[in-house]
Amino acid sequence: MKFNVQRNQLMESVQDVMKAISSKTAIPILSGMKIDVTEEGVKLTGSDSDISIESFVPAEEEGIVYVENIEPGSIVLQAKYFPEIVRKLPEQTVEIESDEQFNVTIRSGSAEFNLNGQDAQEYPQLPKLHTENSFELSVDLLKDLIRQTVFAVSTSETRPILTGVNMSIKDQKLQFVATDSHRLAGRSIPLEDSANKELFSNIVIPGKSLNELNKILDDTQEKIEISVTENQILFRTKHLNFLSRLLDGNYPETSRLIPEQSKTNVMIDSKELLHSIDRASLLAKESRNNVVKLTTKENTSIEISSNSPEVGKVFEEVTADTIEGEELKISFSAKYMMDALKAINSEKVNISFTGAMRPFIIKPAEHEDEILQLILPVRTY
Amino acid sequence: MGNIRLMPDHLANKIAAGEVVERPSSVIKELVENSIDANSSWVKVELEEAGLSTIKIADDGDGMTEDDCERAFFRHATSKISSEGDLFRVHTLGFRGEALASIAAVSRLTMRTSTGEQAGNHLILEGGKLISNERSDARKGTEIVVKDLFFNTPARLKYMKTIHTELGHITDVLNRMALSYPKIRFECIHNGKRLFYTSGRGDQRQVISQIYGMQTAKKMLPIQHETLDFEITGFIARPEITRANRQYMSTIVNGRYIRNHMLNKAILRGYHTLLPIGRYPLVVLNIEMDPYLVDVNVHPAKLEVRFSKEKELFEAIERAVKNVFKQQTLIPEIKQDKPKKEKSEQGSFSLQYNHQESDNQVNQIPWEKLMGSHSESQSIFNPEPIKDPTPSYPEPTFSEPDFEDSDEEIEAETIESVKEEKDRVPVLYPVGQAHGTYIIAQNDQGLYLIDQHAAQERIKYEFYREKVGAVPEELQQLLVPLTFEFSKQESIFIQAHQEDLKTVGLFFEPFGEHTYIIRSHPQWFPKGEEEEIIRDMVDQVLENQKVDIKKLREDAAILMSCKRSIKANHHLNYDDMFRLLEDLRQCQDPFTCPHGRPIIIFFSEYELEKMFKRVM
Repeated sequence: MKFNVQRNQLMESVQDVMKAISSKTAIPILSGMKIDVTEEGVKLTGSDSDISIESFVPAEEEGIVYVENIEPGSIVLQAKYFPEIVRKLPEQTVEIESDEQFNVTIRSGSAEFNLNGQDAQEYPQLPKLHTENSFELSVDLLKDLIRQTVFAVSTSETRPILTGVNMSIKDQKLQFVATDSHRLAGRSIPLEDSANKELFSNIVIPGKSLNELNKILDDTQEKIEISVTENQILFRTKHLNFLSRLLDGNYPETSRLIPEQSKTNVMIDSKELLHSIDRASLLAKESRNNVVKLTTKENTSIEISSNSPEVGKVFEEVTADTIEGEELKISFSAKYMMDALKAINSEKVNISFTGAMRPFIIKPAEHEDEILQLILPVRTY
Repeated sequence: MGNIRLMPDHLANKIAAGEVVERPSSVIKELVENSIDANSSWVKVELEEAGLSTIKIADDGDGMTEDDCERAFFRHATSKISSEGDLFRVHTLGFRGEALASIAAVSRLTMRTSTGEQAGNHLILEGGKLISNERSDARKGTEIVVKDLFFNTPARLKYMKTIHTELGHITDVLNRMALSYPKIRFECIHNGKRLFYTSGRGDQRQVISQIYGMQTAKKMLPIQHETLDFEITGFIARPEITRANRQYMSTIVNGRYIRNHMLNKAILRGYHTLLPIGRYPLVVLNIEMDPYLVDVNVHPAKLEVRFSKEKELFEAIERAVKNVFKQQTLIPEIKQDKPKKEKSEQGSFSLQYNHQESDNQVNQIPWEKLMGSHSESQSIFNPEPIKDPTPSYPEPTFSEPDFEDSDEEIEAETIESVKEEKDRVPVLYPVGQAHGTYIIAQNDQGLYLIDQHAAQERIKYEFYREKVGAVPEELQQLLVPLTFEFSKQESIFIQAHQEDLKTVGLFFEPFGEHTYIIRSHPQWFPKGEEEEIIRDMVDQVLENQKVDIKKLREDAAILMSCKRSIKANHHLNYDDMFRLLEDLRQCQDPFTCPHGRPIIIFFSEYELEKMFKRVM
């Protein structure tokens, strides 16, 4: 195997692929990075057996040559050293060559590295996904979907299914839902071109995979293709394949959890509320559970307060745009509330309460149906 | 007239008593040892007030003739050795000829004894003086009653602790005797209540069960090892049974219970990495050797001895202990089920799955009883019903991992031992993962729970242990040399072992009388700890005559293995789990992590059936 490659292109690919590689793995060869060289270009593969990422450096694109002097072949290199080496090489071009004993030589300028590689035959085969069963989204929309939901997944493996984001298509809408059983985040978008397709019913993508995907993708209008099989999901852009396992099991039915009526409705500036809660949580952090209290006032304002006996108290009044319905006193986790408000990313929010012990809903003032944040209050004694 | 005169006997006896007779338990120790030396088949000890008011010891031993019985109370009178040569091949427990005289000197003592062939004698002594000597019955054996111990040494009497403390010491002594002589029947009665009893059937395990309890005795493993000079037998506890101090490690040399720090250390080395930090095993070890090789004439109560072939002995012990565990499957088995209920204060919705699974019977298990949620806020869901009872795994999509090639280094070290002691861990098939932390696996024997972090820690530890031991020969020169001060004795040792130290990269240059300087040290020394490590190495040389870098760097290996292992709360798929279990099977010690915590827990099929009341 032999090729010459532009260092910047290689570097970019290597960094993307590294996202999938973990130094802690039960299968030792997965701590390596696979390099496949064909006439079309160089393909890098990294995997931790949950997430697999393939990144492609084309031999030639739009008239620019990226890879030259190609002798096809494959090798696995230690991911601990390879990226650092590439990053620090002196020249813009890199020559990589391997022999039958899996000795790899990396040359750039007058620097020469000899690395011990491993047989690519031992590297697990990534499953081939059929790409007919797929739909497309723009990359920035997908990133929005991820950002607005993935923070709510559970971090504990105690209930594995909740560590993922539920993705479903219903009534021509694509919906993402995540919950850790204390709060729930949902986002749905209309989907035009999948009108007649029965692509999949209800799948759960690990939150960790979506986080990594979010990091790799740039905010562009480009399209990303999503294909789903029984236990894998593939996200594909021009030069990148991102493959993740799906979580096994059924996601709990969440639509029933959302209260339909409300007793108290508050419309309020989301920034002001966010900052006020942020301030109140300074003291709330001390009392372990990070709880703040919200009380409605006569003069269309709400009071945010927190009390931690060892440290002190904080009170703050925030003027609301409108307050309708019953009076209310409610306590909730400041962190959950702040996460939700940040995710909504709208000037005004509508909060609908159904009593101090019932979950409450936060929605943006416009595009009401698209984003939904549900939080369970904390019971105080 | 000079001032120096010979002490009268009764004074000398009292002084000797200060050494030999420290407390009631020492009286019992000396007298029971006499009974054992007299070839008794049973020994009965009766006490009142923990021996402070009465100690009565009866046996069926050889007894004494009329001539002997008075002479026995003279100082340095003994039947056990007769010539200087005998001192170096002492077969009996006693030999100093001090005990009886000393005991008699500080108490009111009566003795009945007979050889069984003629009428016996009945002696009464007070403070070491013979009061009377009469004829008595002719039961074979000796019976000694010690009353009012320390009646004439009030200072000593004042220092007696509570009855419970003294009784504790006494049972301790008797336990050791019983362990050393399983063939002798021991019985101990205190204030009319039987404290302790052994059957005398010659089975040491039975004695262990009478002392430490049945459950413990069942978990003891027999140990046997023979070298040219030593024969080691006894029982050692599985690593799951541990104690908080070293007292439960009994070492018996030629039938004599002794305390030896180095012996204990050798045992602990045998247990290395199998025990949690700060825990000690329960061990009963009999070491038989030629009396020539052991000097018992060191300590007045003979608790300490000197060995001639110390190093060989300790190595033999360490190897013996290790061998036992090499052949054993050390997976703790679950014997009792203690279902724990977690209390939860969560307000929760009743959650329904909208399809398919409603007819699944498994859903009816009241799962929330077993798995309460731990969070502090409320939960949106009822705990979810478990899914399909026979989960179908996605077809493994990876090519079969090829163990032999991809793991050459680890393999090379372990393959031999694996071949010999195949199947210490049986083949395990992963079922799934619980809490992202424990692998659940099964085979035809039952169900196994494996701590994934501990398992990988062990795999990595065995790999790194070898790696860190092999130290490259690179020396860091020092601008300002390190100076070390040693005592005269230490510096003699250092001079003697300079070659050993050179092999590990330490070049000591004399610099004044007690001072040495080091101008360079091996590169691998951790920053800031150079002096400490060099001191450690010197201590190792002083203690073991050699430097074992592997051992010095073991902490480093343990830390490395811990850091580079998958943690808890980490999802593993089927292939990962399978690979991990296979690698674990290749380990030399697949049962505990380097910190001594268990890796595998086993539920036998029978236990499972019992828990579900399928068998009653």
